Parts: sequence; C-alpha cells; structure tokens
Amino acid sequence: MSLIKLKRKLLADWTRRRPVVAVLLMALGALAIALISPRPADDLVPLGEQRTVETAKPRVCVHTMLENEVHEAKIKRSLELTRELGAATIVQFFPWAYAEAEEGRYDWTFADRIARHAKRQGIGIIARLGLVPAWARPSDSSAPPTTLNFLPEESFADFARYAAAFAGRYADAIDGLIIWNEPNLSFEWGFRPVDPAAYARLLQASYPRIKAANPALQVLAGALAPTQEQAGSSAGLNEFDYLRAMYQAGAGAYFDALAIHTYGYHDHPAAQPNPERLNFRRAELLREIMLEHGDEDKPAFITEFGWNDHPRWSGAVRPSQRSAYTVQAFEYAEQHWDWAKNLCLWALRFPADILSYPDNFTLISADFTLKPIYYALQDYARGWARSEETWLPPPRAG
Amino acid sequence: MAATATRRLTRRKRAILALLSAALSAALVAILMVRQDAAPDIGKAFPAGEIVVGVDASFPPFALDDGRTVRGLDIDIARAIAAELGIPVRFENIGFYALYDALISGRVDLLISALRIDRARMDDVRYTQPYFDNGLVVVTPADAAETDIELLANERIAFEYASAADAQVSGWQEEGRAIVRLPYEMPEYALDALQLGLADAAIVDATTLRLYQREQRDWNAKFEYITSDPYAIAARIDRKDAWQLVDNALSALKERGELAKIFDKWL
Repeated sequence: MSLIKLKRKLLADWTRRRPVVAVLLMALGALAIALISPRPADDLVPLGEQRTVETAKPRVCVHTMLENEVHEAKIKRSLELTRELGAATIVQFFPWAYAEAEEGRYDWTFADRIARHAKRQGIGIIARLGLVPAWARPSDSSAPPTTLNFLPEESFADFARYAAAFAGRYADAIDGLIIWNEPNLSFEWGFRPVDPAAYARLLQASYPRIKAANPALQVLAGALAPTQEQAGSSAGLNEFDYLRAMYQAGAGAYFDALAIHTYGYHDHPAAQPNPERLNFRRAELLREIMLEHGDEDKPAFITEFGWNDHPRWSGAVRPSQRSAYTVQAFEYAEQHWDWAKNLCLWALRFPADILSYPDNFTLISADFTLKPIYYALQDYARGWARSEETWLPPPRAG
Repeated sequence: MAATATRRLTRRKRAILALLSAALSAALVAILMVRQDAAPDIGKAFPAGEIVVGVDASFPPFALDDGRTVRGLDIDIARAIAAELGIPVRFENIGFYALYDALISGRVDLLISALRIDRARMDDVRYTQPYFDNGLVVVTPADAAETDIELLANERIAFEYASAADAQVSGWQEEGRAIVRLPYEMPEYALDALQLGLADAAIVDATTLRLYQREQRDWNAKFEYITSDPYAIAARIDRKDAWQLVDNALSALKERGELAKIFDKWL
C-alpha cells in the first residue's frame, strides 16, 4: 500500500469512527467530572449509631418543621436535640405537594430523610398530611389562584391514594396519621367556607385505604383549631360546632383518635375551660363531645399547644411565664388527662425565622440557639431537678 | 454585476434598517418603562376603587381590634396613605399565618401589619421603604459617657429574661466580653433598673423604649441601635403600580412630618 493510500484509509477510518470516539471521550469526561466533583452534602451526613430517647415523661412530644429544611445535617441536628430534650415523639408535616408534584409519580426523598433520621434517634412520628399539588387543584386560569390548602372534592380519592401510599411506605416509622390540618379554619380549607360534612367525606375516602395499607396505624381526625368563630363567619367555625357536625355527618366511623390544638394564650394552664375563652383546658370541652358521641374508648392527641412570648403580640405572655406555664401544662395533663396520649408542643424550631410572633413559639431558634424554655422542658422531661428561677426581682429604689 | 452590487446594497440597507428599527423599539420600550415608573396609574393599581389592607390586628399599638373596629399606628398609616392617594381604604383583619396568602390570592391589595422585611418572600411580594425600625437599642442615662458597644466590659446590663435582648447579651458573653447580667422578668423592669442606677445600660426593643418614655417623660436617656428590624408595607410582586404609589405616598408623609406625628400619637 502506498503512503497516499494508507493516509486515505486512515482518514476514511477516522471519519467513520469519529462519532464513536466523540461519545467515548464525552463519557470519559463525564466520569472525570463525577469523580472530581464534590458529592452532595446529604450523602455526607451519617445516620450515626442507633439511639433511644431517655425520658421520664413519654407523653412529651414536639411539633417539628423539617419539611422545609434544605440541609439534611439540620434535620439530623433537630432530631438529636429532640432526643436530648427527652421527647420520644414528634408531629411532622409531610406535604402531599412535595411527594407527588407530578400526578402518579412519587418522590419520597424528603420524607425518607426525616423518617430514617427520626428512627435512628429512636423517635416516633405522628405524620400530618396536607398541601395540595397544583394538578389536584382547579386549573381555571380566569379564576383567582387557589391556595395550597384548596382540596376540591374530586381530588379526595387522589389524596386518599397518597395517604395510603405514605402509610404503607413508612409503616415502621410512623405511629399516627393526621388527615389535614385545622379544617375548621377557612384559611386551612383553601379560603373557602369550612365544611365539616365535606371533611367527613375526606375521612371516609381516606380511612379504609390507609387501613388497608397499614392496619395498625392510628388515623387521627381533625387537628381542630381553637377558635370562637360562629356559623356564617368567613374565618371558620369553632371546634365544638365543627366536631358535632363531623359526627352528624358520620365521621365517627372513620378515625381512631382525635387530634386537638389547644393554646394557652394568657391563661394559666389550670384555668377553667370555657367555650367563650381560648385556653389550654378548652381541650376538655372537645373531649366531652367525644364522650357524648360514644367515643370514650378513642384517645385524643394534643398535636399542638403552647404559649407565646412575643413582646407585642396580644396573645402572648412574658418569656418567664411561658417557661413556667409550659411545664405546668404537662404536669396538669399528667394528673388529669389520661385520655391524651401525647402532648406535642408547638414548635421545636423553624428552618428560618418567620419574622413575626410565630418565632416566639419555638424552643430553639433558627440558628440552633437553645432558648431558656428548652432547658426548663428538658428538666421536666428527663426528670432532672428543676433549675432555680433565673430572673431578678423587680428593681426598687434604695 | 451591477445588479449583484445593487442587491448587496439593498441587503445592507435592509440590515441597517432592521438594526435601526430594533434600536428604536428598544428605546420606545425603555421610554414607556420610564414613563410607567414615573407615573403609576391609580386605576391600574387599585382597580376596585379602594385599597383593601390586610392587617393582623393583634399587635398593639400597631394594630388592635377593640371589638368594633381596628385601630392603631398601622391603621393610621394606611388611612394617611389612602388620603394621600385620594381613594377610600378598607381593612381585613387576618391572622398572621394567612396574611401573605391573602395578598398573593388577591383578597387584599396591601399588607400593613408591623411586617418585618422577609427576603425569602421577595419572589412573591415587594416591600416599600421601611417606615419604622424596631431593632434592639442600648439605653444609657443621658449624662453617661459615650457608649461604645464594641467595648462594653464589666458593664451592668439590664434586659428581659429569655428575650431577644437576653440572646444578644448571651452572644456577647460567648464572644468573651465580661458583662454583668441583670435579667428581669419584664423589659420595663430593665429600664427601671437603669433609671434607678442599678444598671449601667439596658437593652430593649425600640417600641418598648418609646412606650416607656411616654410614661416617664422626666427621665432623660439616650439610645443607640444595636440591631435593625425594619417594618415595611408589602404589595404583590406583580402590582408594581400599587407598590410605587404607596412608596411615593410614604415618602411624602415622611417629608411633611405626618408620619412622625402618627408615631408620636401611638408611641
């Protein structure tokens, strides 16, 4: 073969093989980039050794807000601090919109993270479900946009399917499942008039599917908000009328326990319950309605409660009162509320400051600073000697 | 050959014309945008002919609901802005958790509710210039030597137990500053301690100090901000005209001293 022929052959071969070589080079490049690139931080967060919660008060529970936590290390730290607090249970929100942004395609990434870290810290989960993906809400572009709490009746079955899938997947991590949040508030019902009968139908749609997926799981109804709104109010309906209407609509057959929110506002935790007043023992009035409807064997869970110490909010007390009232509320429930399985304090920590009074409900600030109330509750939950009061008497002249 | 040259010339002319028209369009758009900035349209800003203000009336003295009506500093600011713009104002009392949803869903036009500027919400809302700073202040007697926050050492500092001021003082101690802590059950007690000479300085928020000074008019004290916590009005991100009009109105109220009068009435 002459030199010219050889050159032509090599050129022809190169032209024929060029695409293959290009693909190979690209693959090698991608591999090199993958090898030298830093790995996502999540892969670097070890679960750590299996832990158990050391507590003298197993009913102590906190409501966490881990669903919006971007960094897995912060999820882990939050749960470590929960364990160190002496809280064996958390209430945690698992938004449907996060898990099924695209209809029929589940992404459990964020829920998996929370479940595996909670399990490793020895903490049980009461899961709260809600937040509607865009595809399950009305899509009329000429109408005002709906909020993420807007669940149309035609999407009840889709919600039930998600709830069942969740219940099955996390059977070894969750102890209870709350269907929706505060449906007696218009805001939580998608800025529509509240509708206890529709909520009862949501329970009816969800309960059998959840039980089929996870028969041992407790299905919690309500998470009813404390409010004094009367029928016809655009803001909502008081929890007493709402619960009665739920029973009337046949909801009683479709829940295993009632979730109750009961905030203390200005009152001492032992202050008498009164339908005209928002206070801690208001929960007892809901319990009476359960008994009226023959549900004495069903427990209740206080899935949100607490006091706030914002300096300006009209519903707040002073920080010193907040610490004292919170511990006294646990003590009161210990003595008088055998029907309340857990008392879950709102809230452990927010991923970022909300920049208003809700920040003053937390035990830990967004930057992980432990507030004095954390230590007060820890003393109670762990059975440690109570710290002395740590403020000075009012100053006086001379 | 001549025909080819003519065609080339025509192509060149077309290209130049295209470039010129693109530049002209861009200039027109820019002029329109500038004009829009300069003169926001009130009909477009508030098409219902009124301003609907969302407020959480549970923050005295900024807003409170006395059972019949809502009143307070924020309410007066909203009324002053509406008067400046020459349209009526209506209030919707909404809990904080629903405030931003009410704005985004169009239920209200503005939020005037002791709102702290939240950068995380800036994809959805646009804040006006701040109208108040409720940051922490360090308060000292009027005749005290100049307070240098960076040099605070061995000072007796009074503050409210478990408050933001407490967190601030604790942070300084963690940095190694030698401070004598004087935690009290109420922020007013911290100011009392300062007034009585039991403390060298007190740390409270700006609102607490102003309210305290209303009751203690004979007491001379000076203060310096050590943190900033600005309050502003929020409009929906796509309601630029509304935001611009309200921001302009705020500027006018500040310049004429009317905003200061409202603050003097409530704080």
